[in-house]
Parts: sequence; structure tokens; C-alpha cells
Amino acid sequence: MVQKHIEITEGIVRADYEYWVGKYMDHFYENLEKQQFTGIRCPSCNKVYLPPRQVCGDCFKTIPLDDANWVDLATTGTLINFTATNQEVSERRKKKNEKTTVIGLIKIDGSDTAIIYPVLDVQESDVSIGMKLEVVWNKKITGSPEDIKGFKPAGGT
Amino acid sequence: MGKKKSSKPPATKPTAKRAAKPAAKEAATEKRTRPQGGQASKRERTMERVGIVGYYQVKPSMDLQMDRYEAAFTAVRGALDGAKLKRKDLTSVVSATNDFYDGRTISNCFTVEASGSYLKDETKVEMDGAYAVLYGMMRVLSGNHKLVAVWGGSMASCFPYEVTSLLSTDPTFERSTELLNVMTAGGFQMRSYMNRFGVSAEEIAKVAVKNHQNASRNELALAESQDESITLDKVLGSDPLSSPVTDLMYARPCDGMACILLAPEQQALKITDHPIWIAGVGYSQENYYLGERDLSKSRSMEDAAKMAFKAAGITDPKKEIDVAEIFEHFAHEELILSNAIGLSEPSSPSSIPINPSGGAISGNALFATGLVRLIECAKQINNEAKGHQIDGVHTAIASGQVGFCAQNNILFVLEGGEKQ
Amino acid sequence: MTGRQVAIAGAGFCEHASKRSDVNMAEMVHEAVENCLKNANCDISSIDAFVNGNMPGFEGVNLPELWMTDWMGARNKPLLRVTTGGTTGGSIGIAGYYNVTAGIPGIDTVLVVGFEHQSCGDTSVGLASVAYAETSIWTKLGLSMDKMTRIFGAGAAIGISSYQAINYMKRSGATEEDLARVVVQNRHNAAKNWYTHLKMPNLTIEEILETPFISYPFRYGMVTPASDGACAVIFTTEEKAKDFTDIPVYVNGVASVSNESAILGYSGSGACQLDPCEQIGAVESAKLAYSQAGISFPEKEIDYAEVYSPLPTQELQWLERLGLFEENTAHLRYRDGTTAPNGELPVNCSGGVNSTNSIGASGLERIAEAALQIMGKAGNQVPRTVHTAIGHSWGGVINLVTLMVMSDQQKRKWKGVA
Repeated sequence: MVQKHIEITEGIVRADYEYWVGKYMDHFYENLEKQQFTGIRCPSCNKVYLPPRQVCGDCFKTIPLDDANWVDLATTGTLINFTATNQEVSERRKKKNEKTTVIGLIKIDGSDTAIIYPVLDVQESDVSIGMKLEVVWNKKITGSPEDIKGFKPAGGT
Repeated sequence: MGKKKSSKPPATKPTAKRAAKPAAKEAATEKRTRPQGGQASKRERTMERVGIVGYYQVKPSMDLQMDRYEAAFTAVRGALDGAKLKRKDLTSVVSATNDFYDGRTISNCFTVEASGSYLKDETKVEMDGAYAVLYGMMRVLSGNHKLVAVWGGSMASCFPYEVTSLLSTDPTFERSTELLNVMTAGGFQMRSYMNRFGVSAEEIAKVAVKNHQNASRNELALAESQDESITLDKVLGSDPLSSPVTDLMYARPCDGMACILLAPEQQALKITDHPIWIAGVGYSQENYYLGERDLSKSRSMEDAAKMAFKAAGITDPKKEIDVAEIFEHFAHEELILSNAIGLSEPSSPSSIPINPSGGAISGNALFATGLVRLIECAKQINNEAKGHQIDGVHTAIASGQVGFCAQNNILFVLEGGEKQ
Repeated sequence: MTGRQVAIAGAGFCEHASKRSDVNMAEMVHEAVENCLKNANCDISSIDAFVNGNMPGFEGVNLPELWMTDWMGARNKPLLRVTTGGTTGGSIGIAGYYNVTAGIPGIDTVLVVGFEHQSCGDTSVGLASVAYAETSIWTKLGLSMDKMTRIFGAGAAIGISSYQAINYMKRSGATEEDLARVVVQNRHNAAKNWYTHLKMPNLTIEEILETPFISYPFRYGMVTPASDGACAVIFTTEEKAKDFTDIPVYVNGVASVSNESAILGYSGSGACQLDPCEQIGAVESAKLAYSQAGISFPEKEIDYAEVYSPLPTQELQWLERLGLFEENTAHLRYRDGTTAPNGELPVNCSGGVNSTNSIGASGLERIAEAALQIMGKAGNQVPRTVHTAIGHSWGGVINLVTLMVMSDQQKRKWKGVA
């Protein structure tokens, strides 16, 4: 009669990763530090990407790193989708929180893409697709995605 | 987080235009409409058939109490023994494992012995097992291999699946805010489907109810998913995952492993009485960025289905297909994918049975799930599905997927059960 | 049932460096894809399907092919991902061949993409993570995972290779000087090839032998770099190949026969390959691929070889196991100039992995460089006409191997002696 002995081992490995973002995102982050949203326009099809991209996926063309192609965008946008969750997933673990966060897919005015950020200080029932939002900056601005704390309903209601 | 540097400007030159590719060759076969009763008849196929000659599924569990070597061995050994074939008959082994799910780089490195790959032509696909079957199929069609074993799976009890989904996000932007993962993506997708087509959460919950009930008739379903007495209220009232998705609408990750054996047509006819034919396959990957996709539909599945049906000569899926096993990461995704395949519309559900096994909801051992959909179809054709058998199955379709909101889909058309 | 004849129609590389800090991973891949399309004189509409691969442990990005869809030009097209560690480049090349030969309707021309952005992560963690799970039981004995990284980081690739090298040197009588000679030849070659990492046209054997040992018999001067880079290759049918290139490179034989692991066995149980330079997997792969290609006398019928050798003893060992030189004589062929660019059987004129090592791409680059030599378009093109060439890679814990045999003649018309 075979007896099974199961040994469970756990350990942590320090694995630091730092990603080169490329010149297009470099420019985006430089302007983010100035609290500006800068997108890029594909000269072939006029689609505006935020954050900016080297390659327009629709055309499969490289968008030249030209001043002419940068597009200054507003810091307001429209909510095109949302989900609310208390499940927090980090690079290390999944954890259930007390609080529920409303996470939105937000289309910044003037761009043709959407970014994913929390809709702050709202209940899920307060939120609806199509509502206008404006950015809320983090206290600490470092030129990174976390500079955007989230978005709140525009017009201060 | 990102590092920033800058240097020399890019230097690409435009290239000369290439001529458009010519149309695919059509095989000369007679075209007949399918008579009533579900007989698969001669179709205008454009692809040579590959035979499924054996298969084995390790019953999934929230904790298999085995290491992955034992699981891989059980699956491959089980498939060979079940088919009355030997390891020496194998010429190639294709695995489907993921370095992050397995917690080690080169996840196929140490599985050589356990998976029967010692001194065999071995390789690994890092996608859902259904794509490993695709690659195995290509190896058979090459004429280089007479028997290919395809195996795959993972152990969710050993790693946090949702974390690995976060690790597949855009590292230059989305990843550091840690908001996009499989659950939030599912939430976006379900809301998009409901809003676009006016589908209620109850309609979607019905799919979850069906799959949990079907799982209870499937002896190889995850025990936690088997629930004959499940109700709409129970599904809707289960723990919220990421709204509007609830826990019981989600194909929960678990431990599992499966294996399929493939052979060329000539050999398949000799080594088994009841080969299942892969008559067609299609696969496609759409745009990554959720904000630019129509999440209420599945462009990638539409393309995959077109490609698969063309290869198999299927012109009217609603009439010609007897059963479908679709990898649905969420209950609502079953509806979206079934619409994309052409079996249903948002306002009219499929009249063809979908996921009689319970689908991925009956057990989602990542990277085994698509393989299991194929095995389930093979069982349906072979009349081996026992408690969840559908009558008269001759043509079945099975799907696999990878990526947020099924960014890449693969669809197989399987045929068989005719008198040879 | 037999598959269709497959041909390589073009290849491209991005610039390789220790830090490609000017691009993100997707943009780096795009550079290689653009260069490949340029080489084949076509645009993305000619491509029906894609194969993508890298070694994701290095960057810590799971399934990166999903994110970089648009940069590859793969949107709304079929895509398959194959990853096998160090052999990834070879495996994706082989997958590219299988994609085309299978004749699945709609898939005639396939773009294969291999890449690694190693400077985004910690190479030693990337390498060591092959074994953490196998040896995790040692944590019960007080050895932390971080300590294991230090042991494996140098121990894993370099450690196994040292073990392999000592066996090889004992068998063959190759000396340290022979090892340095291989490195000098590779680095001189790399200097003539535009995209390579370590270009050292004036490197001497003495300079290498003056550097300290990293792990006997390897000195720091002999070790492969870690490079950021990407490579893309187009595989297509015999019929279509002529649209892309004057000299289609026919893929006539492919094999990737796997062996038991050289260390740890499975679940940390112990070594199986007692002599890791024996490499049965490579010998069997050679038998399989050569028989597919109708090659009976590889030492006479093969004109050019790209073998995967991050470390110099491996170059010598592979050339023997793959049947190009008699056992224990490869080092003599470096002494007498046979393997030099103007020699009878030139080897690694690209500079090889010893000069440029972007792990997800490096196996594919061996195939690409061999193909380019046949086309007459290689960066460091050899003077003699290359008709038949091989591209090889190894990986895992020296138990995984790939081999591709290419020629300017289709297999069917090959008049070999069976």
C-alpha cells in the first residue's frame, strides 16, 4: 500500500523588473509630469492614440516621431465602460478588500482609445456609461502612470 | 514602472507593394446538404483530415494532491493505455504549459521523462491546449510523424491565476496601476454585452445554471462545479467578482491535465475502430487594447469560425453542427462566442446543445481547458459521454482561447461516428 | 500524406545591444519585423499567419505576444506561440516550417518572430528560475530562494556548461587555447556583421587567457553576453518563395529530440546525463533531420553551419555530435582554418551566440544566418557558394536541442544516397 507524503514548500525570489518604455512613451511621461495628456495621431488614418504608440494597429504603419503628430489633449473624458470590484490583484497576490473600487474604461476627449483608471469617491450606482469625467492627480507627481489617481465626475457634482 | 532614455532616430524606408495572395485551392468533392438526423456527409473540404486516436482527462480538482509530473504522466500514460498504443509508437510530443502558471522558466524542460518525451521530437506551445493540438495536427500533416501526443494543463492550487493575468498586461503603462486582470476584463465584457444588446443578468445567469447542472452529469467535472439544484438566484447572489460578474459565473481555475493522441488519416483508420476526424481548424488574434475592441462581440472568434468552416466545408453551422464545446471564461462569454460562431444571436439562443460537459465552468485547469473541450467532443461522437451524452453526434465543434476577453480564439470542427 | 515543400523567403534583425533602452519590447520586435519585410521585398499583407516566441522569465511579462499584436502586424490574423527556453528560436523556426508544410487553408506565408529584452529584468533570475521549483525542497534545509539564485545564476547555464566542457576537453584533448581560438574567430566574425553585440575585430587569444576564470575552464573573456534583440524570418511555400527572393532556401529537415535533464533529474532526484557532452538528443536530431533532407554524409554535404554555442567548448562539441567533424577533432579544424569564413566548412560567420545572445531570438538567428548565407545576403557572407546549411540550438538543462537543415535544392529533387 503506497503512502503519499506531500511536502509543501514556499519561498520568495526577488525578481526586479524595469521596463524600457520607448521614446513615444518617454514623451508621454515627460508631459504627464507637467500634468498634461499628450497623444499621437497616425498621419495615415488620423486615429489618435493615448498613450501614444509607435505603430498604428489599423494601418500597420510606424507613426513618425514628429512634432506634427503629437496631440495635446484635455484632461477630461467620457466613461465608456466600468466594473466594480473588491478583489485586489497585485503582482504578488490576490486579496479581497473591504472597499469596492469602481474601475472605468475612460476615453479622453480627443483620443480614440481608452485608459483604465478608478472612478473615485463614487458608488457603483452613481456611475453610468457616457458620463463626463475629469482627472484627479496624485499628490506626488513623478512622470509615471500612478500620477493619475483616478477620475471624478466632471462639473464637481 | 518604466525607464526612460532617448537616442538615435528610427530609419525605416517604405517597401515595394506585394501582390495580393491568391485564393486557396478547393478540393474537388461533391457537395451535399446534410439530411435530417445529423449525418455528417461529404463536404467540400479544403484540408486533409487528421485523426484523434486516443485521449485521457485527469479529473480536475481544487487540489490534485499530485505534482505536475505525476499529473502529466497520468494523462499521457492514460491516453496511450486507453488507445492500446505504446510509448515507442510516439514520434512527437507537444505540450501546453505556461512558465508563470508552473512557476518556472522553460516549463517543458523537466517534463521530458514524465510526459513520454524522452528521445522524441518534443516541443511546447505556450497557449491553451487546443493550440497545442493545432501544432500537433500540423506535425501530423507534415508527413514527418505517425503518432503525436499532445498534453497540457496546470495547477491553480500552486499559483495565483489572476496575478498571472495581471502579468500579461502592457508593462509600459497599464501594469503598474494593477487594475486590469482577468476578472475586471470579464466585468467590462459582460457589461458591454448587456448594454449593447439589452441582455439581462438573468439571461446570462441561465448559462451558469445550465453549465453547473451539466457538470453534475459529467463525472470528470470539478466537484465544486457540480450542482444539479443550482438556481438563478444562487448564481446572481453569489460573491461579486467584478461587476456585473459574480463568482458562479466565472470558470474558476483549478488543477487538471489532459492528453490527446493524433495520427495521420491512413494510420488512424488502422489503429482504432473509431477515429475522430479533425476536419477543419481556424484561429485568429485580435487587438490587445480593450478600449478599442467591441467587447460585446468576438471578432477573433468570427474569423476563427470562418476559417474553420471553410476548411471543413461547413456552410450552415446551425444545421450542420450537432454539439459545441466552447471554452467560456465566463457565462456571458459563452453567449458572445456562440453568437460569433453563428449558432445564436443575442435575441435567440442556440438550438444546438452547448457545453453539455459543463464547459470551462465545470473545471478550468488553465491550458488543459481547450484540450478538454476537444476530448468532450470526441466523446460525444464516440458515444462515450455517459451522463451528458447528446444523441446522434457526428459533427462537433470545440474551442480554446487565450488573452483578455478571448483575444485569441481557436475553433476545431470534428467529425466521426460514421460507418467506415 | 506528405507536407508541402517549405522555403525561407527572408530574414531580418533589429540592432542588438546590451541595453536597447531606446525602444520598448514591442517596438524592438517591430524593428526586426520591418527589416524582415524589407529583406523579402514585401509588406505585411503578404503574411498569412504568425509564430511568436521568447523566454518570458527574463522580462516577467506573461504572454507578451498578446500585448504586441499590432507591432508585429498580427491583428486579426492567426498566431501561435511556442516557447522552449534557450531553444525557443529554433523551436519557432521549426514551428514556422510546420505551419506552412501542413497546408491548412489560408496559411501559406508565415512570419516567425523571436525576441528578448533582457535588460528589463535580471538575467540570473531568469536563468535560475528553471530550477527553483525542482529544488524548493532545499528551503527545508535552510537554503533560501535568494541564495539559490546566486548558486544557479552562475551555476545553471555556466555551471552545467563547465561540467560539460570538462568532459569534452578530457575526451578530445582540446586545450584552453583552443577554446580561446573559437571565441576569437566568433568575435572577429561579429565585427563584420551589422546587428551583433560584441564586435571585437582585434581580439587575441592571449587577451582572453589573461582574463580571470568565471568557472573552469571558462574565463570571463570567453562568456556570451546577454543581449537585447529580435529576429524575424518568413517561411512560405515553394510556389510563393520566388516572389520574395531570387534564391529560396528550402527547409528540408527539422528535428528537436529531447533528452533527460543533465542535472536534478525530475523533482530534484539526481543527474541522468552522466556525460552531458554526449548529447544523444543532438545525435538523434541530426539523424532525423538529415534523413528527412536526404543527407547521408553530413561532413561532405553540408557547406555551412550555425551552431548554438554561448561557450566555446559547445561549438566544438556540437560540430562533432551533428556529424560535421569526427569525434574529438573539431578543435583541430579551428587550428587549421577549416571553419574560418574562407575555409572548407565555415562555422558561425555571423559571430554566433558567443558574440550576440538575445535568448528568445538567438536560435532563430542561427537559422536566419544560415539561410542568408545560402541566399548570398549574409552580413558576413562567405566567399564560397553555400548550397546546404544547418541552423542549430540547444537549451533547457542541456537536454533540449533543435536542428534545421536548409538547402537551395528542394528535398524531392535531392539525389542523395539513402
